[in-house]
Order: sequence, then structure tokens, then C-alpha cells
Amino acid sequence: MPPVSEQSSDADLLRAIAAGQTAALRLLHHRHAGWLRARLRRRCADPDVVDAAIQDTFVAVWKDAHRFAETTADPAAWLWTIAVRRLVSALRGPAHRWLSGPAADVPDDARTVPSAEELVLLGVEHGALGPALDRLSPELRRLIEATALDGLTVREAAQLLGIPEGTAKTRLMRARTRLRQLLA
Amino acid sequence: MNDWHIDAGLLGEYERGELDPSRAMAVEAHMQACPPCRSSIRVDFTWLTGNWSVVYDHVHAPKAGPGHRLLRRLGLPEHRIRLLTATPALRWSWLAATVTVLGLAVAAAWLLRSGAGGAVLATSFLILAPVLPVVAVSGAYGPPADPMHEITGTTPSAGPALVLWRAISVIGVAMTMAATAGVLLPGPGWFAVAWLLPALLLCTGTLALATALALPVAAATLGGLWLAGVLAASRLVHGEPFLSVVFGPTAQLGYLAAAVAAAAVLILRRRRFDLGASR
Amino acid sequence: MTTVTVSGLAKHYGSTTALAAVDLAIGVGVTGLLGPNGAGKSTLLRCLATALAADSGSVRMFGLDPAVPADRTEIRRRIGYLPQNPGLYPNFTAYDLLDYVAVLKEITDTRQRRAEVRRVLAEVELTDRAQTRVRRLSGGMRQRLGLAQALLGDPDLVILDEPTVGLDPEQRMLFRALISRLGEQRTVLLSTHQTEDVGALCERVVVMNGGRVVFEGRPRDLAGVAEGRVWLSAAPPEGSAAYWRNADGLYRTIGDAPAGAEAARPGIEDGYLMLLGRTAVEVAR
Ligand SMILES: [Zn+2]
Repeated sequence: MPPVSEQSSDADLLRAIAAGQTAALRLLHHRHAGWLRARLRRRCADPDVVDAAIQDTFVAVWKDAHRFAETTADPAAWLWTIAVRRLVSALRGPAHRWLSGPAADVPDDARTVPSAEELVLLGVEHGALGPALDRLSPELRRLIEATALDGLTVREAAQLLGIPEGTAKTRLMRARTRLRQLLA
Repeated sequence: MNDWHIDAGLLGEYERGELDPSRAMAVEAHMQACPPCRSSIRVDFTWLTGNWSVVYDHVHAPKAGPGHRLLRRLGLPEHRIRLLTATPALRWSWLAATVTVLGLAVAAAWLLRSGAGGAVLATSFLILAPVLPVVAVSGAYGPPADPMHEITGTTPSAGPALVLWRAISVIGVAMTMAATAGVLLPGPGWFAVAWLLPALLLCTGTLALATALALPVAAATLGGLWLAGVLAASRLVHGEPFLSVVFGPTAQLGYLAAAVAAAAVLILRRRRFDLGASR
Repeated sequence: MTTVTVSGLAKHYGSTTALAAVDLAIGVGVTGLLGPNGAGKSTLLRCLATALAADSGSVRMFGLDPAVPADRTEIRRRIGYLPQNPGLYPNFTAYDLLDYVAVLKEITDTRQRRAEVRRVLAEVELTDRAQTRVRRLSGGMRQRLGLAQALLGDPDLVILDEPTVGLDPEQRMLFRALISRLGEQRTVLLSTHQTEDVGALCERVVVMNGGRVVFEGRPRDLAGVAEGRVWLSAAPPEGSAAYWRNADGLYRTIGDAPAGAEAARPGIEDGYLMLLGRTAVEVAR
């Protein structure tokens, strides 16, 4: 295992972490903690919960870096999926945060991670999707965001938003119908 | 992906939460796929190192085993648990201490049951009962078996309190082992447990009493009480009843209750105790 | 400011005299204890570290007396000690070991203790080795870990017994940098038999031989002991037992001037050798 440096790729860092190199974990943390924090903060107003979710993320990465090799995901997307799931389980209640094994939150299946292409489809500036999303009511839009952008399941999205799973399902259906109407 | 990137103005608006929802989503979608834009997010270095240090500790700090969690639930402070659970990790000392303590217990059980050696030997063994295991533990964590004794011995915690805490760890495990043996092969096992109970009582009792008195005074008080009790019992009764007075089921229950009470005092008065722990 | 005062300190092991009436005063900065094996360096350091009780004489550290139990505990709160054979538990990881010693050093608050462990690991550049077990660390890394445990709790007096033994040149540099940084505000007392260590980082040097202090002063003054006694000559000096040929092909000797020799500038080592030679002669008399 060659030594890692600032120039190492994310995938190399993850391989080094799987081999037990703390230095690689530090580099990965310093590289990704900033944007993960900015993005998580838009989903949770409590900075302590966000900080804890980031910490949990990298502890989970330390334990499960070997599982990354089995996925074909992009490292950043993989990290995001872990982070947002850690946030969901932190919001479920601080008492359960450490008890639920972080391993359960590490995606084995690359398909649960939203691909870059899908995200582009979600719409950059141009096109009708942007204005349509803006016109959606906030609770419907947040569900679209949690499922399509964040890659959460409906159940996890419901936990993130603090609503019952059934409500989330109906709202998501309504959101899709509404989007279709707006785009028509 | 494409040649559109997040400029400083847009990033600022995103970070301040001023963007329209769809634009914010577009920024996030782009960030996830674009390393240069990700790294353009400013991070406060103090926050970054602070956040990292928690990750670092969690990755490296000793893992809490089942024993650790049990003791924590009982209300023992973290650093005491660390001391108790580190005691077995010093392998040679642990082995030497446990073997000696168990050996003493088995020897006592055999001696007292067979009645070999007569009353004088039995009495002297009884008098020494609570002290011998502590002496054994103290020796096992000394120079020959403990390679790091010179560092340990020059810390402020070094001294009788440290020996007693270690003795509790060793005797507690030795008693569990003896009790297991007692369940598996009835007979001497239970007698060995009985012999270790006064020692456990002396350790926890001394530490509990040391929350109010100086440790040597506490040890002397309890030692004196034990000595007086054994001598009084040997005066009052002779032969077989003597053993049953000091070692019988009633006495054993009393010791156990006293040890539990002492442990409770230790936990309740832990703040007080920590202040004077090694003085 | 004087941190440690030693007067008339003596220690015997049977008929062997380890320390014979040592008098010493040590203050803030780095003090080097120089001397051959068996000179009594370790015994003195062990007495100061409260690992050993002296037979007679007195020691005052921070105005406290290590012979008094309450004072001794207070002294132990303020010192860090690296023994010659630290005996670090091989099955502990670097982090565990430091955490354990930190508990013994009464850093009871978990958060504070972990911050302290992280700090000393960073000081000795072992941050990325925290998870490695002691038995898998190299000799130099183990020595650094030993130093790290001595630094836990930010002690006022750091006692290091042969800290640079077994280090490669690069690690020796790291050690020197670290020790001299420590000496800026604290009292550091280290033993060595390397005169280069003394020249490189000690403000004061104490030379011991046969259980006695034979020199106490600045390293420069130690070199001065051999002033006018170091010679260079083109031919091997006659009648001198100790001489060697240097890189320029000249013969260097210490003592009386050989025929046709030129005086050379003495170094710390010359002064040290002069002192040892002289005391050896004195003891023989
Ligand atoms: Zn970009």
C-alpha cells in the first residue's frame, strides 16, 4: 500500500483507509467535510446534529471502506449517501444514534446512489423543470429533493422530514402528478 | 460533465440560503459531480480540525466491551472503568494475579474442609483471608511481571488505591470463575468463593470508607474489625461451629450485603472519592 | 528559577555506591546528565522521578519533599518520566497506552483526556500510528511513544533517561527539536552518553562519574576544561596511550604536549574525556 498524499484520488484514499491508514481518512475528511456540511445544513437547521452526522459518516467509512470497492459508485456520491442516512438516523433520536450499527447505512448497492446523469436531468437552469419545482409547495418539493436528489428511500425521506411513511407516499404521488401538470 | 461551474456569487447565495429551491438543487447536483466546485466551498479550519478530532477519537479510542457497558450502566465513571478493564490487558500480571488468588482460594477450601493443620492454622488463614489476595495482586503488578511498573509507579495514581482497584478487578473475576466451577463440580468451588468474599469486602469497603477517611485509616479500621471479629468468634466457639460462624451461610450473606453496600457507597460518593483518590 | 535542589544525596546497593553525596540545582531549560555507564545517572534520575528512595540526603522539587507521601503525590502530578527501559505493553495500541497512562495521571474527564492523547501523539509525530500496537512499532517509534507518555498532562519537569538511544539520525533530529522546544518553558533533565546531544541542545551540563558530580556548567565551559590540553601532531605521539588520526591525517591526543605538536581547539568531548581521565586518576589515588 503506497503512502497517500493530498494528490491521491478518492478511490485511492478509500483503498488506503480499508488497509487501516488513518492519514488517508484524515485526507478524505478534510476534502469532503466542507461540502457535506454545507449540503446537510440545508436539510437540518441544528448545526450539532449536522456535525455529528459528518463524524458518523467518516467513522462508518473507516469501518466499511472495503465495501466501497464492491460498488461502482462515484466516491463523492457514496459519501453523500452515507452522510444523509446518518443525518436521518440522527434525527430519529440521539439515543439510537450509536446503537444502530452504522454498517446498515452503508450502501452495498450502487443503484441506491443517484447517478450524475439522473441529477443533471433534475435540471440545471434551463428548461421548464426549474420553474416547475419552484412552484411546487415546499413539503412536496422536499420529498422530491429527498428521493430524487438525495437518493433516500421513501421511508428514509419520511424520517428526514419527520412525517409518517404513509403521508410521504401520498405526498410523493401528489408531487409527481403536480410536476407532470406543471410541465405539460 | 459540462462547462458550467458554480461561481463565487452563486456559491455565496447557496451558502446563505438565498437561492430559489430549484437553483439550490441544481447547485447540489452539480457539486456532487464536480470536484473543483466541491472544493471551492470555504471551510473554517478550526471547525474542520474539531470535527476531525471526534472522528479520530472514535476510530482509535478503546472499544467498550460488554463488561465496560455494564459498569457504565452501574454508574461508574469512565476513567475508573478504563482502569478496571485495562487490568486484565496487562497479561502477565493478570495471569499471575488470577492464578495466585485462585490458588490461595483452592488451598484454603481444601485446608478448611479437610481440617488438616488444626485450629491454629485455620484461624491464621482466616485472619489473613481478606489480605492475602490483595498482597498477591500487589505483587503481580510489581516489577517482575509488569514491565511498565516504573512508569505506572511514578504517576500520581500509584499507591494503595490503585492496588485496591486492581484487586477488585482480579478478585471479582476469580470469584466468578470459582462460582462457575462451583456450579459445574459441587464442593470446593463454593468454598473458594466463600474465601474470596471477605477479600472483596475489604477492597470495596476500604475504598468506600476512604471517601470519608484517609485511606490507611480506612484500611486499618476494616482490618481491625475483621481481626477482632475472627478472634472473638474463635474465643466464643471452638472447633466446627467456629468455622460456621465466620464462614457459614449467614456470615457469607452478611459479607455479600456489606460488599454490595460498599460498592453502592463507592458509586454514590464517586465525586468525593475522585478528589481524594490518590492522596 | 530553581526547580530541583539536591543536597548530599546518597544511594547504596549493598556495598556498591550508586550515588555518593550528590549536590545539584536545576532550573528551567534543558540540562544534560553526561557520564559513562554506572556513573549513577539513572539512579539519580530514578530518585528524582520518585521511583526510588535515597538512603540519605535531601531532595526538594517545586519546594516539595518526595520523602513525604502527600508531597510525593503532588510531585508526581507535575513530572513526566521516561525510564531507560519503559517496558511499554506490547499488546496495547499507541492510543490505548497513552489513554491508560493519562487515566493514571488523573486526567479523569474523557473529552479532555482524549484531546491530551491527541496532542502528545501529534507532538511526537505518531498521529497516524495511533492504531498500531506497540510490538509492531519500530524502535524509534517506541521511543517517541515513551516520550509522548512523559508529556501527558503538560508536566513542569520532564525526566528522560537516555532518550536518544537507538534512534537513527533523522529521529534524533526530531527528538532534539522536540526537547529543545520543551525546554523553553519547562525543566528538562535528560541523561545521555552522547556528547553531541549535550552540545546540540543542553544549556547546562552535569558530568557524573563514580556516583559523584564532577562538573556542572555550560557545555562551552566543559570544552574549556581541555583548553591547552588537546594536540595535533604529524607523527604518532610517543608515550600517549590515547590518540587517533583525524581526517586531515594528523594525530590528535589529549594530555601533555607531544614533541612538535600544535595546540588544537577543544570540543565538549575533549573536556568530558579530560574529566573522566582526571577523576579516574583521583579515584585510583
Ligand atoms: Zn463545477
